[in-house]
Amino acid sequence: MHDAGTGRMARRKVKAADEELVTYADPEPSAFASMLGGLIEANVKGSADKQTDFDNLVARVGIWVTDIDEGVTLDFKGGDLVVHNGLSAKRTITIRADAETVMSLSNLRIGPLGLPVYFDETGRGVASKLLRGNLKIDGLLPNLLTLNAVTRIFSVQ
Amino acid sequence: MAIKAFTEEWADAFKDEVNKSAVYKTAAKGWKWTVGLVVEAEPNKNFPESRGIVMDLFDGAARDIKVGPAADAQKCDFVITAPYTRWKEVATKQLDATRGMLQGKLKLKGDLPTIVRYTKASQEMTECTTRVPVEWPDEK
Repeated sequence: MHDAGTGRMARRKVKAADEELVTYADPEPSAFASMLGGLIEANVKGSADKQTDFDNLVARVGIWVTDIDEGVTLDFKGGDLVVHNGLSAKRTITIRADAETVMSLSNLRIGPLGLPVYFDETGRGVASKLLRGNLKIDGLLPNLLTLNAVTRIFSVQ
Repeated sequence: MAIKAFTEEWADAFKDEVNKSAVYKTAAKGWKWTVGLVVEAEPNKNFPESRGIVMDLFDGAARDIKVGPAADAQKCDFVITAPYTRWKEVATKQLDATRGMLQGKLKLKGDLPTIVRYTKASQEMTECTTRVPVEWPDEK
C-alpha cells in the first residue's frame, strides 16, 4: 500500500503562474533595475527553456552601464531573482558596457546547444566590443556556463 | 523651413522621414503595434497642454502619425511618456532615447521583450525626429 505520509517531496519548486519571480531589494528600484527585472520576468514567463535556466541559476550578476553611470546586481537564487540598485558585493560576474551594448546583449540569438550566436550581425558587434575592451566581463573565464545561462535568460530572441 | 513642434504638420514631416529611412524599414520588419508618445505640458516652456502622438507603425513603415490629446496616445500598445523638455533633448540629440529609458527620463509602458527586440528600429526612429527642422515653442 502506498504510504503517503513519510515520503520526501521533490525539491523542484512549483510556482503559480501569477507568482512574482522577481523582487526588488530597494524600496525605490531604479528605472534600470525595473527595466531589467521586468524584462527577465517577461522572458522567463514566456519560455519553458528560460524558466529551466532561471530555476537552476544561482549567481550574483552585476551589470554596470558605463555611459549612464548606473548599475544593478541580479541575485539569481534558483527560481527567484532579487534585483538590487547598484553593484553589491560578492558578484560572480560583472558586465560593464554602454547602454547600446547592454541592449545588444539582450538581442543575442541563442543557437544550438543553448550557446549565444556570435557570428550574426548582433553577435559580431558584441564580440568586437569584447575584443576592443568596450565590453568588459569580470569573472568571465571561471564562469562561462553561468554567463551563457544569464545570456539565455536575458535574450529576447 | 522649421515646423512647429508636435503639430499635425510636424507629424506629417516625421512620417515622411520614417518612410524614407531604409534603416528603419529593415530594422522594423515584423513590427505590428501602435506607439504613443506623450509629451507632457510645461507651461513655463510655452508648452501649456500635454499632447499625444499616435503612431500606426506596421512592418517597417509608418502608416499614420497623428497629433492629438495625450489620452489617445495612452491607449497605444506601447507608450513612452516624458515632459516636453526631455522630448526636445531627444529630438536635438542631447539625450539618447535608449539611455533615457534606462535612466527613467523617458517612461516606457508596454511589453519589454518586444521593445528590446526592436531597439535598432526605435533608435532609427529617434534619428528621424532629428531630421525634421523644428521651431521650438520655448525658443520663440
